[in-house]
Amino acid sequence: MKNSTTRQCLLAIGMAACLTAEVQHADCTLFGPQRDRFVRVPDRDLQILSATSSEVAATLPPLPPRSRSGALQSGTGSELDDILFAAMRANGVTPAEPATDQEFIRRVTLDLTGRIPTVPELTSFLADSGPNKRPALVERLLASPAWVDKWTMYFGDLFGNSAVTSQVRRAADGRNAFYHYIKSSLQQNKPYDQMARELIGATGQNSYEQGELNFPVGGFMGGGPQQDTYDRQAADAAQIFLGIAHVDCLLCHDGRRHLDSLSLWGKDFTRSQAWGLAGFYARTQLTRVPATPGRPNPYYWSVLNDFGRSRADYTLNTTSGNRPERLPRPGQSRTVAPVYPFSGRGPNPGESYRTALAREITADFQFSRAAVNYVWKQFFGLGFVDPPDQFDPARLDPNNPPPDPWTLQPSNPQALRKLAQDFIASRYDLQALQRQIVNSRVYQLSARYQGVWNPTWDKYYARHLIRRLDAEEIHDSLVIASGVSATYTLPGLGQVNWAMQFPETANTPAGRGNAVTAFLDSFLRGNRDDVLRSRETSLPQALNLMNDNFILIRARVATPNSLLARSLGQPDDQLVTTLWLNVLSRDPTDAERAAALDKLRGGGSAQRTRNAENLLWALYNKTDFFFNY
Amino acid sequence: MTDKQKFERLLTRCPVNHSPLFFERPHLSRRRFFQILGSGVSGYFVAAPLRAGEVVSRAGVTTQNKAKNVIFILLSGAMSHIDTFDFKNVPGATPSTFAPENVTGIGLFPTGLFPKLKNNLSDLAIVRSMRAYALVHGLARTWMQIGRNPTSALGAIAPNIGSVVALEMEPQRLATQVFPTFLALNSGDAIGAGYFAARYAPFKAEPAATGLRNTSSTAAGGPGVFNDRWSLLHLLDDPLRVRSPLGKPAEDMDAFYAQARAMVDNPAVAQAFMFSAADSQRYGNTAFGNACLTSQQVLAANQGTRYIQITLGGWDMHQDIYDATDGLAPLCKTLDDGLSALLGDLQSSGLLHETLIVMQGEFGRTVGPLTGDGGRDHFLQQFILFAGAGVKGGRALGRTDPTGGFVEDYGWSRNREFRLEDVQATIYSALGIDWTKIRTDDPFGRGFEYVPYAKDDVYGPLNELWA
Repeated sequence: MKNSTTRQCLLAIGMAACLTAEVQHADCTLFGPQRDRFVRVPDRDLQILSATSSEVAATLPPLPPRSRSGALQSGTGSELDDILFAAMRANGVTPAEPATDQEFIRRVTLDLTGRIPTVPELTSFLADSGPNKRPALVERLLASPAWVDKWTMYFGDLFGNSAVTSQVRRAADGRNAFYHYIKSSLQQNKPYDQMARELIGATGQNSYEQGELNFPVGGFMGGGPQQDTYDRQAADAAQIFLGIAHVDCLLCHDGRRHLDSLSLWGKDFTRSQAWGLAGFYARTQLTRVPATPGRPNPYYWSVLNDFGRSRADYTLNTTSGNRPERLPRPGQSRTVAPVYPFSGRGPNPGESYRTALAREITADFQFSRAAVNYVWKQFFGLGFVDPPDQFDPARLDPNNPPPDPWTLQPSNPQALRKLAQDFIASRYDLQALQRQIVNSRVYQLSARYQGVWNPTWDKYYARHLIRRLDAEEIHDSLVIASGVSATYTLPGLGQVNWAMQFPETANTPAGRGNAVTAFLDSFLRGNRDDVLRSRETSLPQALNLMNDNFILIRARVATPNSLLARSLGQPDDQLVTTLWLNVLSRDPTDAERAAALDKLRGGGSAQRTRNAENLLWALYNKTDFFFNY
Repeated sequence: MTDKQKFERLLTRCPVNHSPLFFERPHLSRRRFFQILGSGVSGYFVAAPLRAGEVVSRAGVTTQNKAKNVIFILLSGAMSHIDTFDFKNVPGATPSTFAPENVTGIGLFPTGLFPKLKNNLSDLAIVRSMRAYALVHGLARTWMQIGRNPTSALGAIAPNIGSVVALEMEPQRLATQVFPTFLALNSGDAIGAGYFAARYAPFKAEPAATGLRNTSSTAAGGPGVFNDRWSLLHLLDDPLRVRSPLGKPAEDMDAFYAQARAMVDNPAVAQAFMFSAADSQRYGNTAFGNACLTSQQVLAANQGTRYIQITLGGWDMHQDIYDATDGLAPLCKTLDDGLSALLGDLQSSGLLHETLIVMQGEFGRTVGPLTGDGGRDHFLQQFILFAGAGVKGGRALGRTDPTGGFVEDYGWSRNREFRLEDVQATIYSALGIDWTKIRTDDPFGRGFEYVPYAKDDVYGPLNELWA
């Protein structure tokens, strides 16, 4: 029967790996440890992103009477907005209303600094009637230390900074050095191209003292030939700085018959060409150097050019390890010279290979495109190209659309190009990029929507898409809301008060079994290695939000300096407002206020205290506390 | 016909046109997939007798149906097989303290490493024709948990075997049962529910004498306070939780809250997840021992948990494998203490008869003399251990050559090496789950087989365990 034949064909697909029976080189991150990234990704994202509906208007907080939307002019008329709103119009999508001031300050404070606003910040912003209050708020946030913390966490995720991975041990010292490198780069608002050059070209003797060395160290692959490490390093650079994760695939096999329907660029790209990219790493030697005499660890790493076994060009002489054998085809040279595939250029005479690679990557328009797309996704939950490491270089240029049946890959190629051009014009200024994004009209649209929302409109950004707060954001927002600080002592870093200041996500602030570690882990912060950060919800999250000591002490009057310790003496009506402003960064709705007052008024003083604690606990557990909307 | 030959025959019959693997296709969300399907664009399943959402089984199979529960022990890092359950004495290398003794049905067994388990051997069936496909830890660990090649077509969306069990066992779940169906102890990196709904995901927990974290209202002020808070929360937040305008994530979270609520102050939870110092001591007073102890108590509670995954790591001994403080001996003691106590308690409670225990590492380790670093490196030949649920113990199935490097006697009807896909089929069969089932609700619409190629009988259960 035709049908069962079809079925068998389908079954047979993907058998190739099984046919070779004993797979010894399948360490492709797309399917190995990092598979979670692809599990239900489209589904998961869509559900979160298209979550809001017309009912939002009725159930999210009301437009407070004192709110002004007049401040919106700040973004009007920008070319980026013009492009995005034109796309909405062209597709018959009516944008949502502008976000209210209360929505805006909570959203932008979380997005830029990973915390909810304090009440003084909130009230002074709401009281401000100046026309530039929103841009002024953005400037204040960009200049705050919390901005540095949030984006140090973000780039730590992106660059994979951790003490231990399944392949390599940087040790706490190396991790801290890398953390400090990222943090000080952001404090200086170092141009992103400079950061990329420093990371890709990093050379030096001691990874504990020179933070950027820990970037190439992350590409170390054990249990195989040196080429496995060169390949990993090249794949990392391509994924992180170019958004092209398919290089990883292409370092095992040609694109033909693998990427045919996914990447117009990748389908004709060959493994030999990918070796040209990995060839830039062929003269890089990673060496473990014992930091202290005798066993055991810790070792630090040196990253040196033309050193040890890495003194020759990329050689095709491997038959074991983590990738398929590398052998020359008849007539092919045994060595592969470094060639940047998008320019055809190699190192200049006398130029070190990785310096050349860094120069080529940062001169590539794709470098800017990938960077702005990664950052855009942080603010909108959805990149123009999504996932943001799935770029197809042959389908990006709006002036040069691909042949049928291919279509341009970005959901809005013009907007992506515009952002990337502006990023270059700003000399790769990350703050300028974020300023442009959050000051835009499109970012300042409400999550509420009047009328029926079609999920396919998500890509037009015609309404703001909601997201669950990240683990660190929940931790730090609880600290802000309650006024009850947290203090951790981390090896080599001393006292730390914010989860967003943790140098990594695994086993931090302390190892397994630590209560705060378990609390944070339940919010799926990942480990920067084989478990990725996720915004899914879970049963342990619910248990923790209801019963974890981190929450409970912050609902108690008896906890010194806590919100209720400070505000219980207020009259009921004022107390309700205080709780709502501190926790939810908004006024209560009339129904909420009535319910809360009803609760507070039952019984005597002891009962009132307990009721106030219960009320505060309920606010910590409210959906609009642990989502950004 | 070997599995390899079967693959080859399949390919000849139906040449692979190298249609792109799923991951190479443009991403389709499940919703979008069904939208497209609904509008008849897709073609394949619309025209086929299979329709989306339909679950079919192509082969009429008879399952063993002898187990109600499974305990899956993952020896992360890969235990050396020839030093343990496929013991080979390597002159000049094997420490004399391993004290191998000849045991009927099993052969040489290192009683020095497992002084307690040697008394449980009559419960254990050791399969020595087990061979891994992959030698990379991450890949192999994933493979073990999803029972298929992670790099294959459906590898990236495949659920953990425990999630399949959770879904399959859901109809048997009583409304009064409040434990998660799939419990993962000391398994922070356990593979999740794949494309299945979040409620089939492993509930990850670290056992503690104080019980399951955050399931008591005591710290909050007791049940009265908790109930008060619970109603207040719903009064204030139901507009955002019930038929939520924020959509499925908020509704999922509300469902998780309801599930969590049922666990709070539940004496069954406290009883099953708390343990005494004496009991912990009996299990070796280790994280692994506590996980074994908790598993036993959880199953005894009969509160809906059907599949428990336990991880015991540290077996990746490339260096100094015979080190007395850091090598095999101390880690084997941890295993010996925990597993022997688990078997003993399950035996006396009668639960062993309905609980299948499966234990394996990602692969085996190199055979013969040690490496230059005094260790053993990754090697495909390995072992797997089964016990309980009527499995006839006190024997080894299959035999390796004198080095332990290759299989000499397969020891089962398929007359080939035993594979992870077969392990998965064996687990399903033991639980009464048709391992040839194909679900058509996968996001790629190509049909998700519980066990790959099962329809063509490439893989299947090890029925010999019960024979």
